[in-house]
Amino acid sequence: MAERFAVLPCNGLDKAVGPLAREIALAVVEACEGELVCPVLFNNLPARYAKALELPLIVIDGCGTRCASKLAAEHALKVVRKLQVAEALKEMGESAGETLTPDPERLALCQRLAERLLSAPEEGTTRDREAAFTEPVEYATVTRDKFIFRIPRQGYLFNENHCWVRVAGGRARVGLSDYMQQELGDLTYCELPQVGAEIGQFDAVGSVESVKAVSDIISPVSGPVVAVNPAVAETPEIINQDPYVRGWVAELELRDLESDRALLLDGEAYLTLVRQKAADYRP
Amino acid sequence: MSDNTFMGVPREKIPWAPTIDYARCDFCMECDKFCPHQVYQRQEGDVKLVVSNPANCVVFCRACAKTCGPDALSFPNKPEIIEVIKRLREEGGDG
Repeated sequence: MAERFAVLPCNGLDKAVGPLAREIALAVVEACEGELVCPVLFNNLPARYAKALELPLIVIDGCGTRCASKLAAEHALKVVRKLQVAEALKEMGESAGETLTPDPERLALCQRLAERLLSAPEEGTTRDREAAFTEPVEYATVTRDKFIFRIPRQGYLFNENHCWVRVAGGRARVGLSDYMQQELGDLTYCELPQVGAEIGQFDAVGSVESVKAVSDIISPVSGPVVAVNPAVAETPEIINQDPYVRGWVAELELRDLESDRALLLDGEAYLTLVRQKAADYRP
Repeated sequence: MSDNTFMGVPREKIPWAPTIDYARCDFCMECDKFCPHQVYQRQEGDVKLVVSNPANCVVFCRACAKTCGPDALSFPNKPEIIEVIKRLREEGGDG
């Protein structure tokens, strides 16, 4: 069962972002069977929410005035996750619209933001996520003559364009498989995507160039690019040396992993694919 | 399993390949020099380059288009191709 939260949202009903904050709060509370905290009543009668506030608290601000956050601070509440709607919409290239009643498109955005809040790591866990992304990997191998192709047994998904994705805390790192880096040979150049770029599943999320060829890096998942790995742009050989961990190319915020997953292979299925490829591998 | 499948679908059923706009193409052959999969073929006559092996084209790869100065190469709409693949996978589900 998902973790339950108390949600303290913006109550600004006179701006377009206010009703969106309300919709996100409702979606979160419904999804996690949490507790809604009305900022107006809480301000007048904090004791009313003493029980609800035993749950970890999510604060949803509408605009930059951040009334809900300030209210939480005044009452010394510990906030585990927060969202500012206007900012989040801007990041997504969306706007709050003109009307005070959200249209279906914006309701869908609210649903997405609610899901993101529920799947987001708690503040201060960036280090945990980094640890999850760099945890040592156990490999299966396929051998063909003097070539040995490694495939992570667990924790990675692949597309048939020989790119991988590793998921942690609502985000995903993507990169090239060991098979692809060996097929390309010594890499001389790696082009990174722009942070903020919206990537669709199977869109190029950069490219690599070797002494033999140029190849697009085809993203196994969809979402905005939230980080890139400058180390591989500077030293593309890192991808040759350690394609699955240090050789990551970009980090995406996941949009719809469930739908993306339908078109991806797990480690075992990818191992089978590499076995077939290796059978007619000519370096 | 068929020799040439992509995501479980026979490759030749997936209509992913470049289209050459001959109004723009100046037959510089950069795409052909670039592509390691023999998708293109040079020939004699007015039309000096054709897409002769569309099924060799790596699905979702559009890298050759970047080499094209006159911007004469185009590819199918990606979401549509994903839909085609999904549909073919469902149809072939019993196989």
